[in-house]
Amino acid sequence: MSNNTAEKREVLLEVEDLKTYFPIKAGFFQRTVGHVKAVDGVSFQIHNGETFGLVGESGCGKSTTGRTLLKLMNPTDGKIIFDGQDISSLKGKTLRAIRKDFQMVFQDPYASLNPMQMVGDIVSEPLVNFRGKSVKELKEEVMDLLNKVGLPSDAYYKYAHEFSGGQRQRIGIARALALRPKLIIADEPVSALDVSVQSQVLNLLKELQNEFQLTFLFIAHDLSVVKHMSDRIAVMYLGGIVEVTDKNSIFAEPLHPYTQALISAIPEPDPRKKKQRIILEGDVPSPANPPTGCPFHPRCSHAMKECMEVKPTLKEVKAGHNVACHLYN
Amino acid sequence: MVKASLNTDGQVLIKNKQKQFSPWKLARKKFLKNKIAMTSLFVFVSFVLIAVFGPLFTTHDITRINFMSMNLPPSAEHWFGTDTNGRDIFTRMVYGARTSLLIGLSCMTFIIVIGTIVGAIAGYNGGKIDQIFMRITDFVLNFPFLVFVIVLNTILVGKVSGVWTLILVISLLSWGGVARIVRSRFLSEKENEYVLAAKSIGTRPIKIIGKHILPNVASTIIVQATLMLAVTIVAEAGLSFLGSGVPANIPSWGNMLFEARDSDVLRNKTWIWVPPAAAITITILAINFIGEGIKDALNPKSRR
Repeated sequence: MSNNTAEKREVLLEVEDLKTYFPIKAGFFQRTVGHVKAVDGVSFQIHNGETFGLVGESGCGKSTTGRTLLKLMNPTDGKIIFDGQDISSLKGKTLRAIRKDFQMVFQDPYASLNPMQMVGDIVSEPLVNFRGKSVKELKEEVMDLLNKVGLPSDAYYKYAHEFSGGQRQRIGIARALALRPKLIIADEPVSALDVSVQSQVLNLLKELQNEFQLTFLFIAHDLSVVKHMSDRIAVMYLGGIVEVTDKNSIFAEPLHPYTQALISAIPEPDPRKKKQRIILEGDVPSPANPPTGCPFHPRCSHAMKECMEVKPTLKEVKAGHNVACHLYN
Repeated sequence: MVKASLNTDGQVLIKNKQKQFSPWKLARKKFLKNKIAMTSLFVFVSFVLIAVFGPLFTTHDITRINFMSMNLPPSAEHWFGTDTNGRDIFTRMVYGARTSLLIGLSCMTFIIVIGTIVGAIAGYNGGKIDQIFMRITDFVLNFPFLVFVIVLNTILVGKVSGVWTLILVISLLSWGGVARIVRSRFLSEKENEYVLAAKSIGTRPIKIIGKHILPNVASTIIVQATLMLAVTIVAEAGLSFLGSGVPANIPSWGNMLFEARDSDVLRNKTWIWVPPAAAITITILAINFIGEGIKDALNPKSRR
């Protein structure tokens, strides 16, 4: 994007073999009878100042990944190294102290704002928590923030239910921005919004990124949105990353069969242009009982015998292009 | 906008603004429009005022038994007549209101405070803490209420003064239901993304409970509070009627009903038991209507 992607930048967030399992409990004594493997061995790096896109269909574990990275959920296993510090086992006070460096923009602008609080209180809360100042002392700063995200100053005295979805998302962005974090995880920030409003919010995020040198982890299920926003893109399927590369090569030459299918599903505005649509058969398997070997093999048209037995790992096939598929070994 | 940046005091500005859509304000507006609830509120408040200030104006002495004026029907001198011990019923009603309402209001406060704290901690934390707190709650809920009140009351009499024995006993045995309701509301409310958002901006758990979740479950708690107020007033009346409530020398509405156990009083001297019975009924009705009104006002789906 505006930043130079070729330049080697330092790593802000490094995720190593992250796993988040949810126990399935059953029976009278609520014994654990199995696990939903929402995130199952995810590894990637995010560099300073870039936007890292994470795509995948619903239920593949994108949001859980985002929430685990912010330690809103505890990882079952793996490492989260943020700015040189392993935060995966931090708790209590030390965890709260580091929260000012990473923030989240939530998916649902209706549920993510407290209906009983004034917008001014919502946006000033992170500042009150970390600077120990009162809401009154922070008023001007908060009004500035509201202006920055494109809301009028008198929004300060209103309640969230008086705003439209797009405006509410702006409030959520202002709250995430208040502490000037290094990393913002945007969890499908526009999927609940109208298409016309989507682009406004996306452009706002981009402007803010330039102004404050933010790093984004951008989670979405809409490939065109991710394309617009990201420098590098990771494709997720059933709790694992199947392909990571920069955004140009993923659209120009997708390697993983799943990525190919996803890209073929993007609607083409030009009706004369012929294109081949790859239609995936079947449903996403249950993450409680994933298939053996490659999780994608039951739906893959290129599936080989090896795919059913051995789970492929992410390998660098070309420079900066990692794929987890046996076709490229 | 200009106004907003000129004025540094947020509070003043709120008052100057014409349109304010605070959820509480909307509810208040709706409540003020509810005629039944407002009438009930008026009735209840006047009862409270009589209970607080009434004894300053009464002239009859109700601490002494008066053989000269036993069982007198209502007259100009004794508005509601006199009881079997010759004490003025109206004056006893006024003093009784004090006792009954004091017991009702204090029990309600204790029950709501204990129930909310237990329910909030259990519901917010979940897991093991939830299990422990809820088992304690079940334990309390499963006490045989009447037996325990009577036994505890007998043990505590003399150690704690007068009505406070009863208040303590009722409160300690009745918070279970409130705790359960508050817990279940917390369980569902904490799944909202704004709670997650509060966590992610580094808000302390205690502040998340108090400032974020509690205001959103307050409507349930307030309605519960009105219900508990009615329930405890009835409980006091019932226990006093059975003779193990408020000590006999302190007048309360329940104590006054105690005399109706005599069938002669019940049949022929209606003025002795009708006033306290009516007072209890009217108070309970009023409280329930107020509760209904609050429930209606706080429910965003019932726009009238």
